[in-house]
Amino acid sequence: MDVLVCVKQVPDPETKLRVAPSGKALDTDGVKFTINNTYDEAMVEEALRMKEEFGFTSVRALSVGPARAEEALRATLAMGADEAVLVETPPGMELDPLFTARLLAAAAADIPHDLVLVGRHAQDDEAGAVGSALGEYLGLPSYSFVTELTPVAASHQLKMRRYLEGGEEVFSGPFPAVLSILKGAKDPRTPTLPNILKARKKPLKKIPVKDLEAKVSVLKGGFQPTSAVTSFTLPPPRSGAKMLEFQTPEEAATKLLKVLKEEAKVL
Amino acid sequence: MDFELSPVEKDLREAVKGFARRELAAVAEKMDREEYFPSEVFRQAGSLGFLGASLPEENGGSGLGYLAQAVVLEELARVSPAFALTVGAHSNLCADNLARNGTPEQRKRYVAPLASGEKIGALGLTEPESGSDALSLRTKAEKRGNHYVLNGSKLFITNGPVADILLVYAKTDPARGSRGISAFIVEKEYAGFSVSRKLDKMGMRGSPTGELSLENVEVPAENLVGKENEGAKVVMSGLNVERAVLSAIPVGITEECLSLSLDYARQRRQFGAPIGSFQLIQEKLANMYAQALSSRLLLYHALDSVTRDKRRNRDASTALTYVSEASTRVALDAIQIFGGNGYMRDYPVERLMRDAKLLEIGAGTSEIRRLVVARELLGSLE
Ligand SMILES: Cc1cc2nc3c(=O)[nH]c(=O)nc-3n(C[C@H](O)[C@H](O)[C@H](O)COP(=O)(O)OP(=O)(O)OC[C@H]3O[C@@H](n4cnc5c(N)ncnc54)[C@H](O)[C@@H]3O)c2cc1C
Repeated sequence: MDVLVCVKQVPDPETKLRVAPSGKALDTDGVKFTINNTYDEAMVEEALRMKEEFGFTSVRALSVGPARAEEALRATLAMGADEAVLVETPPGMELDPLFTARLLAAAAADIPHDLVLVGRHAQDDEAGAVGSALGEYLGLPSYSFVTELTPVAASHQLKMRRYLEGGEEVFSGPFPAVLSILKGAKDPRTPTLPNILKARKKPLKKIPVKDLEAKVSVLKGGFQPTSAVTSFTLPPPRSGAKMLEFQTPEEAATKLLKVLKEEAKVL
Repeated sequence: MDFELSPVEKDLREAVKGFARRELAAVAEKMDREEYFPSEVFRQAGSLGFLGASLPEENGGSGLGYLAQAVVLEELARVSPAFALTVGAHSNLCADNLARNGTPEQRKRYVAPLASGEKIGALGLTEPESGSDALSLRTKAEKRGNHYVLNGSKLFITNGPVADILLVYAKTDPARGSRGISAFIVEKEYAGFSVSRKLDKMGMRGSPTGELSLENVEVPAENLVGKENEGAKVVMSGLNVERAVLSAIPVGITEECLSLSLDYARQRRQFGAPIGSFQLIQEKLANMYAQALSSRLLLYHALDSVTRDKRRNRDASTALTYVSEASTRVALDAIQIFGGNGYMRDYPVERLMRDAKLLEIGAGTSEIRRLVVARELLGSLE
């Protein structure tokens, strides 16, 4: 069994974000990028857990992004992936979830895969659309928000778990398949220092995005973004909390009710 | 001049940071309240390779430079300076010293289990009657056949109460003073070795500190580190490396205090505005940043300096003197910015302040480090 994990590099959650002058995107100037999307880390952990538990042949990592996204792939290699491929986009190239999915599909065609794993969504745009689109372009079934999976090789079936509000669902379906992973069976591992060093020497292939143009052009939607962002705003700053002073619980409740009715107008 | 860490050092920083914020943060407070040593977290740090960053690859380390070790200590110190101190004493004072001065057999036998965290290391120099005047130590080592017999006591030894392997300095020729010192590897199982006291401290709690007693301890002759009577060289070069590398701990404390203070200054409101909008608070923040930045530059400079020349005293001593005093000042300012909350145990800044003070005392006091710097700058007088 070969697993392909798709990872995305995202801005560090602690970094201060600004809107670009175009008003349509994040200003990436001076933004610190984390090594990897947190949800992808959980997904990579699930892939590595399966490799160790079921003796899979390999876990390979794939990313579409600018040159700096190599760091996300190196981090994935440091966790334990065997090889990596970066579809390198030139500075300023615009992507949307569907175009990204087409690029991933074109690259994945040349990488052995029985299971293709993506994170539940990326921390930056939170679109969560790449997984199902990728399944579509690869002509594979896709399963979303899976929490743990067990392949049954003989029947080519996957046994999967999915948490529901207050419950859990166990279901099965055939593979090869694309899965979006909500959270794996284990917390993501911390890479060991020896593995960090090894990761620098593991094979990492870079494919210029142009090389995929022919393959992507024949897919529905073609070699360009399907959707375009028209405006982008940051959430409004949170206003400060209001403290109520009181002597008795009764007084607190009366004052709270008054504020909720007259100022917040939620009652 | 390149102020960037290498890609490996950056990845290492991220890995240690994640580990510290997850595993170490969960025990940091308990360590402080109960002088609790988290042996499980220590072993985990070992299996992740964080204890052996700068140790030779053939002894189970990763063969990186002192900067890598400093990166580890800084990230650990941001969460628990006490844990960082324990790792510093283990990885640097003990293991790195053995790796530099030990024979291939000694390295194989002792450095490898230290690198993996299977065994805990310590260094015993200070004694009840010899602190700043370290080379006046009184512990004696007498050669008898294939053994040296050690007698004496050691005080304030980091990791002493939990250590398996100790690098101990003793006098093989007391008449020759500082020219009669030798270094030995002592295993905790050796008959006559005991921990006479576990000490109760102001800060760095959870990094166990002890008084050790050596009573007719028979140490095999092959456990002599370096040449007989040439221990002073081992002590002095070790101190320079130790001062440079341990400077990473105050740097971590300072960074953490600054970052906590910035968050608090944004959130806490008085007079209808965030306290960060008051110029007296802004002045403190700007000064904290200046100290954080100069501390970091001094740390990197000192690491580079001892990597080139371990006998050069001034850079390592200057770095540790400055960064430790800065971290105490910055931690006190952080408490002030936090107001009443800063004085409470519910917030980490008062712990960071108590921890910070230690680095003005351990690894030679600030006074002694200044003497060392001035003497080297002046050269011989008359
Ligand atoms: C938590 C902790 C951990 C430690 N860990 C270790 C360890 O792992 N291994 C180890 O060997 N040691 C360790 N030490 C010992 C430490 O290195 C000594 O405490 C330190 O060197 C000072 O020695 P002292 O305490 O005897 O003070 P003293 O030497 O008695 O000094 C008292 C005061 O006099 C000043 N003074 C002394 N001589 C002079 C002078 N000539 N000129 C001006 N001022 C002077 C000092 O600066 C100080 O202010 C540790 C100490 C502590 C507190």
